[in-house]
Amino acid sequence: MTESVGTENFVDIDQVKVGKELQASQRVNGVWPKLRVQHVSKSFQSKDRNFYVLEDINLEIQQGEFVCIVGPSGCGKTTLLNIVAGLEKADSGDVWADDHKINGAGTDRVVIFQEAALFPWLNVVKNVEFGLKLKGFNGKERRNIAIEYLKMVHLSKFQHAQVHELSGGMKQRVAIARALAMNPEMLLMDEPFSALDAQTRWILHYELQNIWLKTRKTILFVTHNIREAVCLADRIIILSTAPGKIKKEFLVELPRPRDDNDVNVAGYSTRIMKELKAEINKVMKCEMDADSCVECDIKCTTEGPAKTDIGGGI
Amino acid sequence: MQSILKRTMFYILFIGIWEGLFRLGIWPEYVLPSPVSVFKTLVHGFQNHTFLIGIAISMKRIAIGYGISIVVGIFLGLLIGRVRLFEETLGSFFTGLQTLPTICWLPLSLLWFGLNDRSIIFLVFMGAVLSITIATDAGVKSVPSLYIRAAKTMGAKGWKLYLEVIIPAALPHIITGMKQGWSFAWRSLMAGELLIVCLGLGHLMMIGRELNDMSQVIAVMIVIIIIGILVDRLFFVKVEQRIRERWGLVKG
Repeated sequence: MTESVGTENFVDIDQVKVGKELQASQRVNGVWPKLRVQHVSKSFQSKDRNFYVLEDINLEIQQGEFVCIVGPSGCGKTTLLNIVAGLEKADSGDVWADDHKINGAGTDRVVIFQEAALFPWLNVVKNVEFGLKLKGFNGKERRNIAIEYLKMVHLSKFQHAQVHELSGGMKQRVAIARALAMNPEMLLMDEPFSALDAQTRWILHYELQNIWLKTRKTILFVTHNIREAVCLADRIIILSTAPGKIKKEFLVELPRPRDDNDVNVAGYSTRIMKELKAEINKVMKCEMDADSCVECDIKCTTEGPAKTDIGGGI
Repeated sequence: MQSILKRTMFYILFIGIWEGLFRLGIWPEYVLPSPVSVFKTLVHGFQNHTFLIGIAISMKRIAIGYGISIVVGIFLGLLIGRVRLFEETLGSFFTGLQTLPTICWLPLSLLWFGLNDRSIIFLVFMGAVLSITIATDAGVKSVPSLYIRAAKTMGAKGWKLYLEVIIPAALPHIITGMKQGWSFAWRSLMAGELLIVCLGLGHLMMIGRELNDMSQVIAVMIVIIIIGILVDRLFFVKVEQRIRERWGLVKG
C-alpha cells in the first residue's frame, strides 16, 4: 500500500469538474464508447401509482474507465446496473455496448454481486472455470485460465477448497477472479464489498485497484459508500432519488493505488457528501414521515445523523 | 465401542428369547421356527442360488422402475418448479395423488399390463415418482435467484442453466426425495411381488407360506431388511454426507 499522497500531488478540490461538458471532451472521435445508456426509464407499479425508479438516465462510459454510481438507498442504482447487465428490462430507452444494443444478459458484461454467488457444489477452481466451461473451453485450457486469475487475486493455493471454507472477503475475490476469467468487455459490480468488514474492504479496494491497473477493464461499480467510490473511481456519478436521475458527476484525479484513509480521498468524499446530503435527507424524510413521528422529523430537519456520517460513507 | 457392545448384547438376548420360546413348544414350527432353522434356510437358500436369483430378479425390477421414476420425477419436478402453468395444474394434482397408497395402483396396473413384470415395474415407478417430483419441485423453488442471475451473466442459457445450475443447486432436495422414493419403491416392489406370481423375493416368501415353511418366510424377510439397510447406508447416507460436507452444513 502506498503512503498517502504528498502535498505536491494534491489535487485541489476546485478541479472537480462537473457534468456533460466533461464527457464530451473525453470522447474519442470515431470510437464508440464502451457503454451508452440512452434515455433509460424504469418504473414499478405500486398499489395506486407508478413509482419511477429511474427517469431518463443518460450515461456514457469509455473503454477502460472506472465509473462509480453513488446514491442513497432506493435510488435505483442497482436497477440501473441490472438493466445494463441485461437482467432487467428498461421501460423505455436503450443500452448500447460498443456498437450493439443490449438485449438480455451477455458474457461481455459479467456482474459481481453483493454476495459472492459462488456455487457451493463446485470447489473454488471449478467455480472460476464455470463461465469458461459454458464458453466451450476444454478442461486443460480452462484450468490454466482459472489458475491464472486465482493467482491474480492471490488465492491459487485455495483452488481445491470448498466455498464454505473461505471467508467473506476471499469469496468475493474468487467472484472477481471468476468474472475476470470470462475476459468480459466490462465488469459490473453491485455493491460487492458492502457486506464485508472495514479491514477486508480496505484490502479489496487495494486489490481491485491493482487488478484494474493491470487489466484496464471497463468497470461500472455501484455503491452507497462515498469513500469507497472516491477510492476506486475515475468518475463518480451521483444519482438522486425518487425518481432516480443523474444529479451530478465528479472526476476524481488522484494517483493510484489510493488509500481509503488518504487525506485527499477524505477531501473528495466530504465534497461529494455535501451533494448527496440533500438526497439522503429526502429519503429520510420520505421514510420517516410515513410514521408521522415527531422525533424523526426533528432529526431530519437538524440533519444530525447525516452529518456524523460525512466521509465514512452513508 | 460401548454402543456396539450393547447392540451385540441385544441381538444375543433377542435370539436367546426366540430360541427359548421355540423350545417351550407352545407353537407349532410352522408358526414359530427356531432361529437355527431360519439360519439354515438362509444358508441353504444362498447355496442353491434360489435367494440369489430372487434378489437378482427383484433388483432388476426395482432398478428399471426406480430408474425411470428418477428421470421422470426430476423432469416433472423441474417443470412444476419453473413453469407457473404446470405448478398450478400438475402441482396440486400430484400432491393429491401422493395421498393414494401405492398398492392402490395394483388393480389398474394389472388391467393395463397384465400379470407380469411390467405390472410390478409400474408399481415401483408409481411408488417413487411422486416423492421425487415433489422434492425436486421444492428443491428448484429453493434455488437462490442469485445463483441463476450470476449464471446468466456468465452465459448460462436454456438447458445448460438447468444442467449446470438449477439441478446441482437443488441436489440436496432431490437426494432426499430419491431416498424417500427408494423406500416407497422398495415397499411397492414387495407388495407387487407378493400378489403376482413372478419369482423375486416377494414370491419366495409366498412360496414359504404355501409350503407352511415359516423359516423360509422369515429368512426372506431378513434378506429384504438387509438389502434395505445396505442401500440406505452404502448409497444414500454416503451421498447425503458428502453433499452436507460440500455445502458446508457439517464441519469436518
